[in-house]
Amino acid sequence: MSFSRRDLLRASVASVVAAGSGTFSGNLLAANKTVKIGMNIPMTGDYAPWGLPGLYGCQIVADDINAAGGVSIGGDKYNIEMVAYDHGYDTEKAVQGYKKLVLQDKVKMVMMLGGSTVASILPWAQRRKMLTTTLLPSDITEKSEYLIATCESHPLYNVTGVDYLAENFPEAKTAAIVTNNDAEYGLQSAATYKAAFEANGIEVVDVNLHGFDITDFAPIVSSVLAKKPDIFCMATSFYVTPLMEQLYHQGFKGKIISCTLDFYDEIIAKTSQEFVDGTIFQFPDFDDPKLNEDIVNFPNPGDFDAKYRAAHPNDWSAVSWEYPAILLNWIEGAKAAGSVEPTDVLNALKSNSRPEFIFGGGHWWGKELWGLDNAVVGFWPVVVVEGGKARIKEFRSVSGWLKRNKDLLIKHMKELGLRTV
Amino acid sequence: MELFFLSIINGLIQGGFFALFAVGLVLIFGVMGVVNFAHGELVMVGAYTIWLVHAQHGVAYIPTLILAILVVTGVGLLMERFLFRPTRNDPLAGLICSIGVLFILQVIATLVGGEGPSKQVPPPFHGTLVLFEFLRIPYQRLFGLGISVLALATLWYFLTRTRLGWALRAVALDREAAALQGINITRISVIAIGVGAALAGLAGGLMAPLTNINPHMGHNVIITAFIVTIVGGVGSLSGAVYAAVLYALFHTFVTVYFGGTVATICGLILMVVVLIVRPTGIMGVRVSE
Amino acid sequence: MKENWPKIVGFLLLLAAVLAVPHFLQFHHQDLLIFLVINVLVVTSYRLVTLTGEWSLIHAVMMGVGGYTATLLFRGFELGMWFTLPLAGLVAAAIAALLCFPLFRMTQFYFLIGSFAAGEAIRLCWIEFIIPFGGTGGLSGVEPPFVFDIDFLEPIPYYYLTLAIVGLCLLILYRIENSRIGLTLHSVHWKAPLAESVGVDTWRYRALAFIVGSFFVGVAGGLKVHYLGTINPNQFGIGFMVFILIWVIVGGYNRFYGPILGVVVLTLFDESIRQFEEFRPAIYGAVLILSILFLPKGLESIPARLRSWAGGGSDREKGKLTDG
Repeated sequence: MSFSRRDLLRASVASVVAAGSGTFSGNLLAANKTVKIGMNIPMTGDYAPWGLPGLYGCQIVADDINAAGGVSIGGDKYNIEMVAYDHGYDTEKAVQGYKKLVLQDKVKMVMMLGGSTVASILPWAQRRKMLTTTLLPSDITEKSEYLIATCESHPLYNVTGVDYLAENFPEAKTAAIVTNNDAEYGLQSAATYKAAFEANGIEVVDVNLHGFDITDFAPIVSSVLAKKPDIFCMATSFYVTPLMEQLYHQGFKGKIISCTLDFYDEIIAKTSQEFVDGTIFQFPDFDDPKLNEDIVNFPNPGDFDAKYRAAHPNDWSAVSWEYPAILLNWIEGAKAAGSVEPTDVLNALKSNSRPEFIFGGGHWWGKELWGLDNAVVGFWPVVVVEGGKARIKEFRSVSGWLKRNKDLLIKHMKELGLRTV
Repeated sequence: MELFFLSIINGLIQGGFFALFAVGLVLIFGVMGVVNFAHGELVMVGAYTIWLVHAQHGVAYIPTLILAILVVTGVGLLMERFLFRPTRNDPLAGLICSIGVLFILQVIATLVGGEGPSKQVPPPFHGTLVLFEFLRIPYQRLFGLGISVLALATLWYFLTRTRLGWALRAVALDREAAALQGINITRISVIAIGVGAALAGLAGGLMAPLTNINPHMGHNVIITAFIVTIVGGVGSLSGAVYAAVLYALFHTFVTVYFGGTVATICGLILMVVVLIVRPTGIMGVRVSE
Repeated sequence: MKENWPKIVGFLLLLAAVLAVPHFLQFHHQDLLIFLVINVLVVTSYRLVTLTGEWSLIHAVMMGVGGYTATLLFRGFELGMWFTLPLAGLVAAAIAALLCFPLFRMTQFYFLIGSFAAGEAIRLCWIEFIIPFGGTGGLSGVEPPFVFDIDFLEPIPYYYLTLAIVGLCLLILYRIENSRIGLTLHSVHWKAPLAESVGVDTWRYRALAFIVGSFFVGVAGGLKVHYLGTINPNQFGIGFMVFILIWVIVGGYNRFYGPILGVVVLTLFDESIRQFEEFRPAIYGAVLILSILFLPKGLESIPARLRSWAGGGSDREKGKLTDG
C-alpha cells in the first residue's frame, strides 16, 4: 500500500466538495446545517495504515449521507463534514492538531487512533468537554469521562481467537508471544493473550518483547522457535510481515495467531499461500458473506466494500470500517439526544444500556479494569485465511469471556506493569 | 546449541552487510576527511531503487541491483563535486552539508514511494537451503553473503594490487605527502566516494528484500556504521571489516538473549568505551587529523 | 552615555514588540510563538557549548533530559513548575558533568561522534525502559501552573511566563559570555595551546561550557513539556539536533545574537512554507547547504558584508567552521 500526497489532497478536496455541494443542494431544498466531525489521526509514517484508510471510509459514509439529504437531529437537517489532521503518531503534533480542531474548526467530536497520542490530549478533552473516541479502550482512565471507545475492543477481542484455536486444535499445548515493546499496543495485547492462553490451559513458553529499531528479525524468530512452541502468537505486532517471512524460512509448522494481518496478500507474496492459510486473526474483509448476518450493525457492508475498493483499491486496512462505525454510533447518539453538542451526545450514548455495537451484543464496560465504563464490548469475529482469502469463521462473545476470566486478565495486565485500577 | 549455530550464521550474514556500508564510510573519511552523515541514506536510495524498479515495475533483480549501484554512485559523485570539493578544507562544513543531503534524499524517497507503512520487496530467490532440520538459510540471505564477500574481496584486490589502490591508500595515510608525490587528490577523492557510494548502493540493493524499506531506514544504518567504524579504527579498512563481523555477531547474540534495543544500546556504549580507551580502534592505525 | 541612546531606544522598542505580538496572532501562531521563545534559549545555550570550538550532537538529548526530569517529578511527586524547572536544569547539568569524563578526552570529529553516540544511548534508554520513561509513546499529563486565577494552559499567560524565564536565562548567559570565563572560553577555542601555556586548564573550561549549556537547555526542556503536557523520545532525536545546528549556522555563531536571529528568521520562513509540508525537510536541507557554501558566517555577517562591498573593501574573510 502506498499513500501519496496526491491521495491526501484528493481526500481533502473531496471533503470540501462534499461540504460545498451540500450547501448548494441545501439552498435548493431547505437550508441544511453542517456539523463538523474531526479526525486527529496518523496519515503519514509507520502508523498511517491505522489512520488514513479510516478517513477514506468516513468520507464514503459522509458522502452517502449528504447525498441522501443529510441526517435529521433535533428537527434540523445536518450535512456531515469531515476535518482531518495528520499527527504522524507524534504526541506533540497530536496536541496541536487537537487544539486546532476544537478551538478553530469547532468540531463536535474528535476521532483518534489511541495510545500516547490520546493520553497527550486527555487534559484538553476534559477541560473543553470535547467528545473524543479511541480505538484502544485501554486509554480510558478514571478521569476520562469524555473519552469513549465504541467500536474496536482492542486488546480484549484477542481472547476470541485463542478460544477458537483451543477448541479446534486441542493438540496445541504451548505458545510463544512476540510483540513490540510498547505499553499501548504490544504489552496490552500480550497480557490479554497470556490470560486467554491460561484460561485454555495452554502454557506460554516465551514472551519476546523487541524494540522498534529491528532491521533483522531472523535472530528474534530463531530464539523464539528454540523454545519449540506449538503456537506462534503475534500480539498487535507492527512487524507481522517480516515475522511471518522468518517463520516461513525457518520452517515453522505450528499454528499462527495474530491480532492483525493487514496486507496479507503482501505476506503471501513473500512466503506462500499454503503457509499463510490457517492463520487466525481478528479483522474481516468487508466482502465477507458472514457480515450480512443479522448480528452485524453496519448498513450494507458489501456496498461499502465495493465503493471503498473502487476509490482506494490498495488501501484497505482494519480501520477502514472502524472509524465509519464510530461515526454511525455518533449519529445514533446525536439523534437520541436531539442535539449535536458533545455533552448531550455523550450522555445519550452512555444512558443507553444496550448500545449499538458493530458485531452485536454490546454493553458498556471498563470500570473494573481501567476505571470507567466507557468502552462498548460485545461479539467479535474470528477470521482465518482460507485459500489465500480472509474468512470469518464465527462471532464470539467478548463480554462472556470477561465475565468468566476478568481476574485472570487483570492479573496478567499487572504482571506486565500495565495500568489497572 | 542449535540456536548458537543459527545465530552465528545470522551474525555472519549481517556482518557482510555491515561491512559493505562501513567500509564505504571509512574510505570516504580516510581519503577526504569528511564524515558522510548521509551514508545511511545512500543505502536507502539503493533499497528504494530495487523497490521501485524491481518490485513495482517488474524488471529482473540482478539488472536492477546493478542499476541501484549506478544510481547511488551517481548521487555520491554529485555530492563530491558540489559539496565536498568546495568545502574541502573544512571537514565540519562537509559533514553539515551531508546532513542537508540526508534530508533532501529522505524527502525524495517519500515523494517517490509515498507515505504509509514500510515497503516490502518479495525475495527474488525463493526457498531455503536446509543443511540440517535446525539449520536453514534462505537463498536470498546466502546470495547476499556471497555477493558481499565477493565485493569486499574485489575491493581488497583493488587496494593492494593496483597502482590506483596504492595511491588511494597513500592519500588516506597522509594527504599532503601523497600530494607532494604527485598524486592527484581530486581524482583520488572522486574514486573514493565513487567506490564508497557504490558499496552503499550494493548493500541497499542486497538488503531490500530482507528488511523494511522506508525513508528513515538510513538512521539505523548510520548508527551501525559509526559503531563499526569507531570500533575498527577510524582510518582502517581491514579494521572496519573485522569490526563489522564482530559487531554483527555481538548484536545478533545480544538480540537473541536480551533483545534488540539492548543490543543497540550496548553497541553505543561499546563505541564510547573504545573511543575513551583506544581512540584508534581495535586495529589501531594512526589517524590523520 | 550619549552613544548608548539608540541602543536603549532600540531595546525598548523590541521589548514592546515582543510583549505586544501575541495579541495580534491567531491561536495556532500563539503556540508557535511559545515554542520559538523556548528555541531561542535552546540555540543560545548551544552557542555557549560551541564557544570552545566543540560541536556537540547531544544538545537535543540534554533538552530531553530536562523534559523527562520535569515530567517524572511532576507525575511522581506532584512538584509544581517552580521546582521542576530548576531541577530539570540541574539534572541535565549533572548528566553533562558525568559525560564530561569520557567525552572531553576527545576532540573534533571524535567528540562529535562520541557525543552523538552518548546521546543516542540515552535516547534509546527512554525507549527501552517503559518504566519509568513510557517507551516510544512517552509520557503525558504534565500541566502548567494555575496561580491567582491565571490559567497557564492558555497560550498568552504561558507566553509571558516563558518570556520572563527565557529572558532571565539569556541575561545570565550574556553575563557569562562577557565575563572572564567567557573570554577564556574564546581563548580555548582559538588559541588552545597558547591558553594552556599560560596555565588555563582547557579541559575544565570546555567541561564548564558544556555543563552550563546543558543546564539551560534542560530548563528549556522543562518549559516545553509543561506547556505541551506530553513528552516522547522522538522529539529529541537527531532531527531536532539538526534543526538546532541549522538555526545556529544560518544565524551565525560569532555573536551572541546570531543564533537568535537564525531561529527567528527560520521559524518565520518555516511558517511561510507551511503549505509545502512534505518538502519542508528538503527545503531546510537546501538552506543549510546553501548557507554553508555561500554564507558560512551566517545572517549576522550580512551587514558587515554589505558594508565591505559598499566600501569596495577587499577584506572579505573566507569563513570556516573549524580552525586547523
